[in-house]
Amino acid sequence: MPCLEIRGLTVDFGGIHALKEVSLSARTGQIVGLIGPNGAGKSTLLNCISGLTRPTEGEGRLDGTDLFSLSPHAISRLGVGRVFQHPEIMADMTVMDNLLIARNRFLKYGVLAELLGLPQVRRQEAESRFAAEQVLMRIGLPDIGGIHAGSLPYGHRKLLEVGRSLLLGATVLLLDEPVAGLNEHEIDRMATLLAELRTGGGLAVILVEHNMGLVSRLCDEVVVLDIGKVIARGTPTEVLNDPAVLLAYLGEG
Amino acid sequence: MADAKKHTGRAVVVLVGLVVLTAPFWMSGYPVYVLSLVGIFGLVAIGLNFLTGYAGQISLGHAGFFAIGAYTTALLTKKAGLPFVLSLPLAGVFATAVGAVAALPALRLKNLYLAIATLGFGVVVQKLLFEWQSLTGGGAGLEVPAPRLGPIVLSTAGHMYYLILAVVILGTWAALNIARTGSGRAMVMVRESEVAAGCLGISVAKYKVIAFSLSGFYTAIAGGLYCYLVRYINPESFNIHMSITFLSMIVIGGLGTIPGSLLGAVFYVLAPELFRGIKDAPGLVFGLSLVVVMVLMPKGLWGFVGRLWRRA
Repeated sequence: MPCLEIRGLTVDFGGIHALKEVSLSARTGQIVGLIGPNGAGKSTLLNCISGLTRPTEGEGRLDGTDLFSLSPHAISRLGVGRVFQHPEIMADMTVMDNLLIARNRFLKYGVLAELLGLPQVRRQEAESRFAAEQVLMRIGLPDIGGIHAGSLPYGHRKLLEVGRSLLLGATVLLLDEPVAGLNEHEIDRMATLLAELRTGGGLAVILVEHNMGLVSRLCDEVVVLDIGKVIARGTPTEVLNDPAVLLAYLGEG
Repeated sequence: MADAKKHTGRAVVVLVGLVVLTAPFWMSGYPVYVLSLVGIFGLVAIGLNFLTGYAGQISLGHAGFFAIGAYTTALLTKKAGLPFVLSLPLAGVFATAVGAVAALPALRLKNLYLAIATLGFGVVVQKLLFEWQSLTGGGAGLEVPAPRLGPIVLSTAGHMYYLILAVVILGTWAALNIARTGSGRAMVMVRESEVAAGCLGISVAKYKVIAFSLSGFYTAIAGGLYCYLVRYINPESFNIHMSITFLSMIVIGGLGTIPGSLLGAVFYVLAPELFRGIKDAPGLVFGLSLVVVMVLMPKGLWGFVGRLWRRA
């Protein structure tokens, strides 16, 4: 049974089709690659799933729940995690704070309890911190909870964003070029983490990426977009040898 | 070396603590009054810092919240005869509700556009106080009775000082609590990126409303204390100049920090007093000092303290 299902998604920006009748689904335990030249509509598709862009037409469901009528925070509270192309972190706060921010959906206390520092607040904080420590180990960055996130190297910031989605309790993870701007070593680290997450289960991943090595290594299925339309789908090998795909990427000739 | 640093830090804290706790016993009336003002503006700065420093929403209308606190407290004391333990919290609660409404423009507007909308809020409050003469006394102002609780009347400057000190300590403690937990972090995330905050399960609208309400609460409590301290209020004083003063305090002290809020208030109230001796030009020197602080300490006084501390 598909976890995330998008059908007939069309997005018009002032008469221009950013996306035209795109369908896509991802099951738990699956990594679906989403590739295509710049401007193909990959980020627009992720933005629709995140609730940041309202589709003109189409249907999006997460385990049966209609996504397209919900606000971004309601969607993320259903377990949709998003890793941005450029890490969105709180630079002058600690790594720990940057992780704990994702626990908002689990908080069971109100502002008054926070002001008064009630025991239930402290207890939940301690639980969240424990969960965050586990996540830091999982993303291979133990013992950095106390340092300022702004002092992290770029690659670590990207890992931190993945960790944040895990702490959100994501069952669907939307990754927008997670290895863009990373060096070989960092790319390998990210790839290993994503592979581990797949085996760990519980997660369906949509991976937007230009690095074809990573796409072939990780993806179970690849969907190719060009000018808002799906031009190919299949296994990485099938897709990367498809003449239509090569044409879209390399141009004619 | 680290030990020496720790000792110095502790000594400074103990010294400041002693001075603050014992001030009315060895200072004359005026310095005690000035320190009381520091406490009041410290509370305002904490409140405004939640909104601007933490949640990233500018306000040029905070004199409005301060006025609401002052007038609500004054009227509850004068007309309803309530003790200060009721009048102050009730003024805070009322301003919390007003804050939630004042947050509505912030759900659509940003930055300079929001600044103008909040400016409008401040003007509306001030005009209402002027025009609603039957309640507020209008431009003639309002005399405020001394705060009382049963038979106890806080009639001296020393009494007021300790009431304000108690509220400042409580308010600072509560502010540190919230800054360190879920809402504090959520407000910062809203400031950093509304898009990312939304994708992390944070309702941007909810936390903007919380930031405005919380800010209104602190500012109104401070306004209530102010009316008890000065014992006479007039709509004229709650003007745009006051709102800008509040904003300057948190920028000078350090945006997004609680200790910085207090330091900003200390600077803003005490620096003009220090420069008072300079013949003919206290305003000029104070104005220049603002420029110097901002140029040399871009992260405000608290950021500068942090830098000194790390370097020592």
